[in-house]
Amino acid sequence: MLSITLKAYYLLFFRAAVLIAAVSAALYPYSKTFAATTSTTKLPTKVDTKFVPYEPEARLVEIYKLVGSGKSKEALALASRLTTDFPNFQLGQLVYGDLLLLQTKPIQQLGDLPTVLTKSAANLTALADLREESSLRLKALRERPPTGTIPSQLLSLSARNKHIIAVDTSKSRLYLLENTSQGVRLIADHYISVGKAGTGKLVEGDLKTPLGVYYLTTPVDPKTLAPLYGGGALPINYPNPFDQRLGKTGSGIWLHGTMPEKYARQPKSTDGCVVLANPDLRKLMMTVAVKTTPVVIASQLVWVNPAQLVPERTQFEISLNQWRDAKNTGQIDKLYSFYMADFFNYGRTLKDWWPSTLAEVKTANKRPIQWRETTQLMWRSDASSKNPNIMVVTYDETIPGIKHATTKRQYWMQSGNQWKIFFEGAIASS
Amino acid sequence: MTILPTLTRLGFGISTALSIALFLAISASQAVADEYSDIAKLMKGNQMSEAMSKADQYLASKPRDPQMRFLKGVIQSETGKTNDAISTFVRLTEEYPELPEPYNNLAVLYANGGQFDKARTSLEMAIRTNPSYATAHENLGDIYARMASQAYTKALQLDNSNTAVSPKLALIRELFTPTTGRTAVTKPTASNAIAVAAPVVVSPAVPVVTTSPAGTSQPGMGSTIANNALITRDVTASAEAWAKAWSDRDMKSYLASYGKDFTPPNKLSRAAWEEERKARIMSKAKISVKLSNVVVTVSGNTAIAKFKQDYKADALATSSRKTLELIKAGDRWVITKEIAG
Repeated sequence: MLSITLKAYYLLFFRAAVLIAAVSAALYPYSKTFAATTSTTKLPTKVDTKFVPYEPEARLVEIYKLVGSGKSKEALALASRLTTDFPNFQLGQLVYGDLLLLQTKPIQQLGDLPTVLTKSAANLTALADLREESSLRLKALRERPPTGTIPSQLLSLSARNKHIIAVDTSKSRLYLLENTSQGVRLIADHYISVGKAGTGKLVEGDLKTPLGVYYLTTPVDPKTLAPLYGGGALPINYPNPFDQRLGKTGSGIWLHGTMPEKYARQPKSTDGCVVLANPDLRKLMMTVAVKTTPVVIASQLVWVNPAQLVPERTQFEISLNQWRDAKNTGQIDKLYSFYMADFFNYGRTLKDWWPSTLAEVKTANKRPIQWRETTQLMWRSDASSKNPNIMVVTYDETIPGIKHATTKRQYWMQSGNQWKIFFEGAIASS
Repeated sequence: MTILPTLTRLGFGISTALSIALFLAISASQAVADEYSDIAKLMKGNQMSEAMSKADQYLASKPRDPQMRFLKGVIQSETGKTNDAISTFVRLTEEYPELPEPYNNLAVLYANGGQFDKARTSLEMAIRTNPSYATAHENLGDIYARMASQAYTKALQLDNSNTAVSPKLALIRELFTPTTGRTAVTKPTASNAIAVAAPVVVSPAVPVVTTSPAGTSQPGMGSTIANNALITRDVTASAEAWAKAWSDRDMKSYLASYGKDFTPPNKLSRAAWEEERKARIMSKAKISVKLSNVVVTVSGNTAIAKFKQDYKADALATSSRKTLELIKAGDRWVITKEIAG
């Protein structure tokens, strides 16, 4: 009988299902709180009432696992609960449909739609998107970042960066990392959707999600948002100075939620924003601080042991320390040599901007300047592109003689072993 | 045995196909049985108010009689008194939980009110009570199909909310138009409608060609064996050609492999089945179908080919047993039936 083919189909994804379930339960520290507040759903048939995860994705995995082990009745019961709790989780509905049909006939594949539904091209597209969503969710759960690793962009973090957001578009996944005194650890990860035309945003309206290292900026008041954006919006600073230097255009790139009728959006369905399910976005908004939270968006995150980043950091810090030394000791010519000819600062050229630096050096008058809370984020360009590596350095600078510290950000560009600055400016401190 | 009018008329093709055999079996006397048949006859003649007053008369003296209350419930259903019918059947299930029929009828009423989950639970109770109760199995199959359609429609919700409505309506129209009349005497459909979770048992394939006694009784005597070998070769070639057309996603040749007498599965019309096959096959980027251990049995101008079918499509790869029944049409062998297993 053909139910075995469905089993085989789900098994394709679920070799590691047991492991996945264990991992996801561990990754969702909120599960219990939410589970306690969920209204108890009446079970259609008797099922084991052991702990059932709250998050739809973890529950979907549980269902796949049951299908994989031939327990279609139990899977059906869980799918029924899932779709009752999250009627707008389309993938859950699709699997629920399959499991219902499986009670009456063999099922050949995920989303074994009756003929009447496969006649419309729109339905077939929607089905393909759901299958893609399923396979991306599973890919992300299968290929998890190894424990103790961090995205390779995080060269050096300050205590002020309590959290880091990292997006891997190849897995349609957002990772939320927490920076503690014991190091950086992954605390949650969520399925996300990106631009209709993919990633690598270049110009306004290209329907692509930008790739790069960004920061969260001022959040949008949820009350002013259209329903399309769901539970809220966290804008990022696209186009950043590096983007501007490359002539990239566009604006309003946000991390935002979904419209009420959808729990999740199709993998490639936005105009360039990164879209999360509303519960995931709300959790994110409750957790992260704006302005100090870096947002890395990469087509493929490379997870490394922090120790692996030491050589690159050491190499960069040679330039950084020389620049600091020049500024500290008032070596004007040496200091000037760190700035690229096409340097800019919020619309000002190097020539327009330089006097403000001279003034700072003069005020300090060779008394030591202090740099604190330094964050170094490195953006390595693709081997294919001719763009150089970029370092984004954020720090608090205290000039003797000036009462308050200023939070500043520099964009450095690598040229051989040398690093030079093409942007420097104060950013609104948080 | 009297077959009562079914609840099919209530709509949607869900049948109750009530049999009162069970009730007659537990009834006390022939005289009482006659009362039931009289009322059943009135119901059959659509004389509902007469049937109702007779039933009420009877119940006035024997208010707890389950058979008569059941009939009353059916009359209430048939006359649109759904809520009354529901409470009649609910009380029967409470007092006589061993009877499957009240559960089944409750399920039909729930289903017609769109309460599929309740309907399902009721049918499952009916089956638990009496596992061979075919009507409940059939109805449960229908409920599952309807719930699946609902789930799929929700799954496919498109960005434009207007387009989400039309497939739903079309779906209801197509899926829920009764195709065949159902009665209580239909054979249990458990084998094809329920519980398809049994694993495939791949029997050890015998790499031999067999011929049936019918084949050897064909005139031709000494040449029969040789003749059969030729036929076997032709039949095998037809099966291979069918697999190739499928692999090539050559819909024209693929569909031409099936004879005009081919019986599509799942009671589909030929046109609907062809549509379904087209959608299935053309939606794949790449298909590979390989046959092995082909065993052909010839009988006159019909043949049966059994083989192991290795199917690969995109990410899916399965291996299963398949049986094709073929018939000679001119100089070709065409498929009349395709059976998995």
